[in-house]
Amino acid sequence: MLLIGFAVVAVVAILMYLALYNTLIAKKNQVTNVFGAIDALLKKRYDLIPNLVSSVKTYMEYEKGTLIQITELRARAVSEKLTDDEKVDLDNKMSRLLGSIKVAVENYPDLKANQNFLQLQAALNEVEEQISAARRAYNASVTDYNNAVEMFPTNIVASIMNLTSKIVFEIPEEERKTVNVGEMFKK
Amino acid sequence: MKTLEEFRQFFDTSLKAPLTGLEAERKQVVYKIGIALLIAFAVLSFLSIFMGPVALFILPFAGIGIFLLVRFGLSRDYAQEFKEKIIQLIVKFIDPNLDYESIGFIPEHIFMNSEIFKVSPDRYRGDDFVSGLIGKTQIAFSELHAEYKTETTDSEGRRQTHWYTIFKGLFIIADFNKNFQGKTVVLPDTAERLFGNFGKMLQSWNVMRGQLIQLEDPEFEKLFAVYGNNQIEARYILSTSLMKRIVDFKKKSGRQIYLSFVGSKLFVAISYSKSLFEPRIFRTLLDFKPIQEYFEDLELALGVVEDLNLNLRIWDKQ
Repeated sequence: MLLIGFAVVAVVAILMYLALYNTLIAKKNQVTNVFGAIDALLKKRYDLIPNLVSSVKTYMEYEKGTLIQITELRARAVSEKLTDDEKVDLDNKMSRLLGSIKVAVENYPDLKANQNFLQLQAALNEVEEQISAARRAYNASVTDYNNAVEMFPTNIVASIMNLTSKIVFEIPEEERKTVNVGEMFKK
Repeated sequence: MKTLEEFRQFFDTSLKAPLTGLEAERKQVVYKIGIALLIAFAVLSFLSIFMGPVALFILPFAGIGIFLLVRFGLSRDYAQEFKEKIIQLIVKFIDPNLDYESIGFIPEHIFMNSEIFKVSPDRYRGDDFVSGLIGKTQIAFSELHAEYKTETTDSEGRRQTHWYTIFKGLFIIADFNKNFQGKTVVLPDTAERLFGNFGKMLQSWNVMRGQLIQLEDPEFEKLFAVYGNNQIEARYILSTSLMKRIVDFKKKSGRQIYLSFVGSKLFVAISYSKSLFEPRIFRTLLDFKPIQEYFEDLELALGVVEDLNLNLRIWDKQ
């Protein structure tokens, strides 16, 4: 009798462990998955940059330094093997530089009238909007994952699995500004 | 978009004259209804002499039935004329690019395509179709009433049909300012308001709707539950600013609202309990108040473009 009791408890415990284990894995994979999406979008943005630089450089007199920096950052981003943190860092820098270029465009009416540039601008806005969405999705899945890692009863299984909580993206202030700057180009 | 003050001026200068014409017609309709009811009353009283006490049970129902029949039967042409003349003028006043069709409505397949309502209707009606271009955004809306029925058979084999409303109110389609492939549905959040976190858990089990998408804006999250098939795309559509705008729009309307984003289109359903854009028979037309209501309901629907900033085209979709 006792033996059957133990067996039942053991089976239930194992099943519960498996269920919790699977939820944690699913949440962890969700985080990786969304980070992959951010990575893909960042690549898409890096692909736009050479065109952007070549179309603005004939107009922009005073931002040559910024343009060179942008080109260099892009070169690093596409050629070197980077860790996730480095990618994030590079992306933040890039966002800041692109933001300042967008502000500077205001001083060049010819550039603002250039069809080619306007198209690029739209493409860039598009990618940035998508990146921002992907970051928010990443933060949501990290929060979900962290809750599971820290809350009972999944925290017990998580500590057995050696899972630790992850850090959310800081959505940089600049990014919100770039969206606002974008509004200035409303036709 | 026009302000209420502008509309008041328009009412004085351009609506008064046609309304005065219609007012005479309205009085005639009321007069006809009165005569018809008198005749009906006389006939019923006459019949009741032969029916005896049973009449007490039958007559009140017969009376109500006849009243409704007469009321709507006799005022149909008048209502039609009112719409063609007055609502038409108000729509054109708000924006001359808009078209109005009193008997047109959003077709059922579009209603179902929006994915807002999952139950397919057994009875589907509508009217007051408005469409046109506001800025860069194509918009169309109409009043809709979608219902489903249940049939029950009791022990004596009598069949009973009950009609339940799926949706009644204004249904709007507008071109969204971003391109997307997936489906995202924003529903009023009843579970979370009632049950808090437990409600959130219930929402996540709503498998028919796809994944639950949890967004960062607490005010938005309190009012709505979002479902979709792509976590990133849902956030691409529901940017932080759009969430804020949706919350404001919901507050401004003071009604239950549903939104969905399917095939680069935006669908908005605004619940109303009353019938929209119908003339009142037993009240004078020359009052500003009821006419103001038509104007405000139209402006609310068309306001979607401005309120949700749909003319902002800074992304790939121009």
